[in-house]
Amino acid sequence: MHGEAVLRQLALAPGIERVDSPRHASVLLVAGGIPPYLHEELRRVHDQLPQPCATLWFRSEPLLGLESATRIDELDDLPRALIVLHRELMSGRRGSSPRLLPDQPPNPWEGLGDFGQGGEGMMGGTPYGRPMAMNMHDDIRDGLTLDSLTFRLGPFFPALPPGMKAEITLQGDLIQTWSTQLVPYPVSLDAVFLDALQRPVPIAELELARAREHLHRLFHGLRLAGLERLGRQALQLANTLTLDSRVDGLRRRLVRCGFFRLSLSGRGRLTEEQARKIGGFAARATGLDDDLRSEDAHYRRLGFTPVTQAAGDTRARWQQTLAEIEQSLVLAKQAVGQDLHTSETGSVETPHGPWTDRRPEDASRLLGDLLPGLEWGEALATIASLDLAAVSEWPLEAWAAAPRVASHEARRA
Amino acid sequence: MIWRELILPVIVVLAALGIGAYVVAVLDRLIAGTLGMPQTGSAWQAPLARGAWLLTQTANATEAPDWRAWRLAPALYLALAATGLAVVPWSETLVATDLATSVVLWGSVEALATVVIFLHGWSANALFALIGAYRYVALGLSYILVSMFVLIGVALPAESLQFTQVVVSQAELWNVIRQPLGLPLLLIVGLGMTFWGPLNLADSADLAGGTASEVSGPPRLVWDLARAAMLVAFSGVAASAFLGGWLGPWLPGPLWLVLKMLAVLAMLLLLGRLLPRLPPERCVILMWVVLLPLAFVDLVWAGAAAL
Amino acid sequence: MSHGIGVDISFFLLAALAVYTGWRVFCTDSMVRASFFLLLSFIAVGAIMILLTAEYLGVAMFFMMAVEMMVMALFMVMFMMNPAGLNPMKMVHQERAAIVAGVIAFTVLSAVAVFSGFPDAPLPAKHAPVVSLGLEMLGDSMLIFESAAIVLLATMIGVVVLSSHRGRYGAADVGSMPPGLAPDGEPAGQPQNEDEDDDEGGGHAHHH
Repeated sequence: MHGEAVLRQLALAPGIERVDSPRHASVLLVAGGIPPYLHEELRRVHDQLPQPCATLWFRSEPLLGLESATRIDELDDLPRALIVLHRELMSGRRGSSPRLLPDQPPNPWEGLGDFGQGGEGMMGGTPYGRPMAMNMHDDIRDGLTLDSLTFRLGPFFPALPPGMKAEITLQGDLIQTWSTQLVPYPVSLDAVFLDALQRPVPIAELELARAREHLHRLFHGLRLAGLERLGRQALQLANTLTLDSRVDGLRRRLVRCGFFRLSLSGRGRLTEEQARKIGGFAARATGLDDDLRSEDAHYRRLGFTPVTQAAGDTRARWQQTLAEIEQSLVLAKQAVGQDLHTSETGSVETPHGPWTDRRPEDASRLLGDLLPGLEWGEALATIASLDLAAVSEWPLEAWAAAPRVASHEARRA
Repeated sequence: MIWRELILPVIVVLAALGIGAYVVAVLDRLIAGTLGMPQTGSAWQAPLARGAWLLTQTANATEAPDWRAWRLAPALYLALAATGLAVVPWSETLVATDLATSVVLWGSVEALATVVIFLHGWSANALFALIGAYRYVALGLSYILVSMFVLIGVALPAESLQFTQVVVSQAELWNVIRQPLGLPLLLIVGLGMTFWGPLNLADSADLAGGTASEVSGPPRLVWDLARAAMLVAFSGVAASAFLGGWLGPWLPGPLWLVLKMLAVLAMLLLLGRLLPRLPPERCVILMWVVLLPLAFVDLVWAGAAAL
Repeated sequence: MSHGIGVDISFFLLAALAVYTGWRVFCTDSMVRASFFLLLSFIAVGAIMILLTAEYLGVAMFFMMAVEMMVMALFMVMFMMNPAGLNPMKMVHQERAAIVAGVIAFTVLSAVAVFSGFPDAPLPAKHAPVVSLGLEMLGDSMLIFESAAIVLLATMIGVVVLSSHRGRYGAADVGSMPPGLAPDGEPAGQPQNEDEDDDEGGGHAHHH
């Protein structure tokens, strides 16, 4: 289990509120080990927490300077530990976590000119070592050229896949350029997908695991869209998924509240080439019917044909996700009746794309072509609707090599 | 004299502000609980615990913010909410300020709210706060015309720009029936003005909290309080403009107004929990292409009915 | 005309605030701050107008100026290439001419205020500012106000049409060209040299 799984566990725990900005948190939870090249970034996130704050390290080694912080290894104890930590902080029984970095600007003030503007004339120059936004790009929306603003985001930004870092140029809130600097952490799949590469596995088990993966993604997408309640329902459904589960109710509520019509736009359209590169449900939402399951004799016996959508945009991908969950549940139910196992080994259609001789690879570099021209909110919705991370070679339960994610949590009574 | 003109109005406004904001927080939690979000502790204590938590936190700094504007903006937003509450008539005589132009004063509260929210995001000198601020200006400039037309619509039958007269004019028929388009339009304006739920573009999750993304501790408490108080002020205005204010049988006037305000609040909070957030561009298109013409229709309707 | 000491105190405080914030407009180093100092100055003036029982005009000043300053700040920041106006910049230029013009304007207006004789008309007992303003606007002065309103409306519609994405001669972002004067002739009214994108208005501003 890894960071994402910890997050999902906490999302359903009462009394714990997940916040989007470290400024709003009291307790920083680090779930899983953080690779050394991200320690500096983690220190920066840590120092943004307002004092008094505390850290909790879940199966992770505390940073230098935070040796006295609480560590925990049991997932079930986690909500309780967070609540206790928060209560101790609030009542003053626990001192605040120390600051790790000096509180000073990242670049020295380079005040030149009459008004400290850093250069000649009225404007110009580079105060704080950062150029003023004078390099005008041609606007790609409507020809109204505005100021452009370049910044880096990640690797702990909650709306991006964990571990992903990007350099982004905005004009207004329209994305001009996007370059992915660090790719997201590889995601671990349920062990049944890896087993399917070695030996035949029950189709019912495989399909339930697939539906669960899709529901987890739906949870993140709905939370971003401001539908926390429905996201939580999706998560609960994933946790209690059985052969008799139905997603009709969830789908009906999503349609009724206007998720497809109000919140999503027909943007973020993949070209056929991009869709092929990402693979999986995103490709099928673009009209390609690539699915390794069609090559499996036992799936064919169940009458499997890939579901596809034509549009290939954000909306189509979520519709595809729901359709695939429904399809998986139907397949699982039929397969259990006939006690069918997969017939092919050596390849498996994972929820993140086909796994034949190679694992599904990272596709986050595609964002540089896909996102320019989108508004900020649309771009994040597009990222949430895609599965960009590579698939890890280790299954979900392998603790020792778990992928690493940090997330911050604030708790209140 | 001094009691009636100075002390009583101040007490009325402050009480409405404090109790109202608390009621908003409780109501929101109760609604969330009813809709199936897990809650711990009682909904009545949780807002107080949250307040205490924010008071124990330190207020953080960003790199070179505009300190004065950053610290003042939440307080100014709260002051605007108080100004809004001051023009709400609780009964025929119990009005904090019975200005002859109180409807226009509410209009300027809406306009100044745009300035204050922009200032809150801009002065933090941080990326997401700034984007949130710009988004809010786009939203604010769009809803303000809708709001003006709707409010002029209720002033027509009253032949006055005074909220007391607007309420009196509804003695026979409430404006919600007389001008059926008005209240739904005004509710959307209310969601926009407090950037709540589907119109929460300024402090949204995709901006990690938007204009409030860099705020912690007491300033954040004031900001949250001000948003809740603005919701209360708005519900008072909506109840007076469309639901007949203090008018009603059996119960005393102020109690009627409180009940109507609670109904408006419950409606807004429910919408906030049920609907997804709109993308900014779609939101602006909706305001200008759909809602503004509807507001015109509402005004023409009101004018025809008044003739 | 009788009024309490409170009104006098408020007047002097508001007047001082209006002058002080007006002065700060020229001292600050940021466009946004300058706009909002100007807004504060206008709000103080609006409050003084309320004290003068011009209630409607005073309150209208609040919302007119709030929207106006907001739009001004926004457009300045958008176009002036200063990230959010938070990087310091010099906010005044051509100071000398501006100082001369300011001093002259101040002297003339003060002279008008000091030397002209104002009518000493007491307020009527049942003074209704909104009603009297409405009668003024829709009574004797109706023709002036209505024609001004129509001119303003036409201007606004014209600006929107000129700056809209769909220009008269095609979409703005594909580079619209007016038709020639003769069939298949050169586009009419186009400058012959390279820099054609000076200030033709929003509809023509963008060339690839």
